[in-house]
Amino acid sequence: MARIVIPAALRNLCGGSQELDVPAATVDELLRAVDARCPGFYARVVEDGRLRPELAFAVDGEIAPLALHDALGPAAEVTIVPALGGG
Amino acid sequence: MRNLVAEVLKKPIAQVKVVPMEIGGGFGGKLPIYLDPVAALLSKKSGRPVKIVMSRTEVFEATGPTSGTVIRVKAAAKGDRLTAVRASLFYEAGAFPGSSVGAGSMTMLAPYDVENFELHAYDVVVNKPKTAAYRAPGAPAAAFAIESVIDELARHQKVDPLVFRKVNSARKGTKMVNGIAFPRIGHEECVEAALNSDHYRSPIEGPYRGRGVASGYWFNGGMQSSVVVAVNTDGTVNLVEGSTDIGGTRASLAMQLAETLGIPYEDIRPSVVDTDSIGHNDVTGGSRTTFATGMAVYEAGMAVRREMIARAAKLWGLPEDDVEYADGVVRSKKDGRQFTFKEIAAQSARTGGPITGKASLVARGVGGAYGTHIVDVEVDPETGKVTILRYTAVQDVGTAIHPSYVEGQIQGGVVQGIGWALNEEYVFDDEGRMVNSSFLDYRMPTALDVPMIDTILVEVPNPGHPYGVRGVGEVPIVPPLAAIANAIYDATGHRFTELPMSPRRIVEALNGLA
Repeated sequence: MARIVIPAALRNLCGGSQELDVPAATVDELLRAVDARCPGFYARVVEDGRLRPELAFAVDGEIAPLALHDALGPAAEVTIVPALGGG
Repeated sequence: MRNLVAEVLKKPIAQVKVVPMEIGGGFGGKLPIYLDPVAALLSKKSGRPVKIVMSRTEVFEATGPTSGTVIRVKAAAKGDRLTAVRASLFYEAGAFPGSSVGAGSMTMLAPYDVENFELHAYDVVVNKPKTAAYRAPGAPAAAFAIESVIDELARHQKVDPLVFRKVNSARKGTKMVNGIAFPRIGHEECVEAALNSDHYRSPIEGPYRGRGVASGYWFNGGMQSSVVVAVNTDGTVNLVEGSTDIGGTRASLAMQLAETLGIPYEDIRPSVVDTDSIGHNDVTGGSRTTFATGMAVYEAGMAVRREMIARAAKLWGLPEDDVEYADGVVRSKKDGRQFTFKEIAAQSARTGGPITGKASLVARGVGGAYGTHIVDVEVDPETGKVTILRYTAVQDVGTAIHPSYVEGQIQGGVVQGIGWALNEEYVFDDEGRMVNSSFLDYRMPTALDVPMIDTILVEVPNPGHPYGVRGVGEVPIVPPLAAIANAIYDATGHRFTELPMSPRRIVEALNGLA
């Protein structure tokens, strides 16, 4: 079971939940499973089949380089964060 | 840059070659492209090389300032514990969305373990030039706001400001505002070092003199890096990399390779090559190069070590498992026979040909960097001039690969922060045009304005890197704004909430003229 931390801006789609546990083997599967419980969630994160450019995923605290295609371990924790650039 | 130029010109990436040049620093403003596609188009039309140089005024007006910001912070404490923070951050984006407000909101509370918080971040589009990244983009303004409030809170609770920061420090496992738990970090160690420093233990006396402290945080980037290592037959080593050297990374990468191979640093010949000559390298920025390209250097060095073992095993007729590599020497575990690095290199032609190693990776295991600064100031109430009497920057640098370069990065960041605190600002007219676009009117600190910046390098190794590297280049600009504001408050009793704290503003504030 993977855990996703629901960003504050999307909690209204999930009845106010801060975290959800769903079965998923990849980030994409996780988002689709969350969407089944929180309709509209997937479309807020994914656009034209790709992660929206202003967002990034962190899996177990590390930015996931493959985005939607990153594999998830059995107790993975996924966080959606704003994409950042340094100076 | 290659990808951006190719996208603008609608050309395949393979038709764009970028040749990195030596520059003294990037600081974020050099991340976007400006005239590069124009020069390329003109070159294509004319069939000649084209060089376009921006004037200083054009750089000021057209390459993107950092965001102007308005930040409101409310915080609560019980005893010496920080219990809650509520903040709203408004960052100017310029004419197009995309300010650094996300980074500002994510770094703001990073030094602290605070259970209750509520942050509202606004990207404000205005009819002004597009903002761009500037060293730890978004973090200095956010730190100015929160660290000023933390100072007020500590004073109100009658707790030493550094002790307050230590008690409430984030540690391994503390969750950031985005829900990610910190790996091993070194903020607490920075505060401890500041508390024990000669600077903080020395008295500050005299009228209109005061001391301030502040902490700050900045992320490190990971991203993509590629390197190739080639061993010459004389035992010297070519290190070929594509990360533009904007602050000494060529040396720090060569030092990591020397460490991996166990050979003298002087035997490493690093080269930064063009984009046709190496695999893809993401930008030199985000405090990532010594960390991420350093990790690629380590991996390529380990590949060379494995090849050295294979060559020696072949010469000795031993299985590779019976051969080991340590300190630049390949040794038989069976009978102690050994070859030095130079000896194996000299025999490469008859053991299988040139010895090379390469690595291309997306770096994982990024750390994060903290700094805690102490500053003493003297304020002249008649002229409004603020003199920096003494400055000490404490920073968790992970492992200082090249300590004097690390120190240089810290000192440079502090001086930029002093500029932000006391003088530097873009002044726009009512129609959004910059009116001080020259160094005559844009007041930067000079050598006459700053004392020697003392540094204390705290080393809490990043467990995600083989040598414990943390990026060091950006975080030193984060604490100075608040540290100086807190020092001016200590000196004058006036809390400045607007930057820069220029002579005009100080005279007006201290004389009730504002």
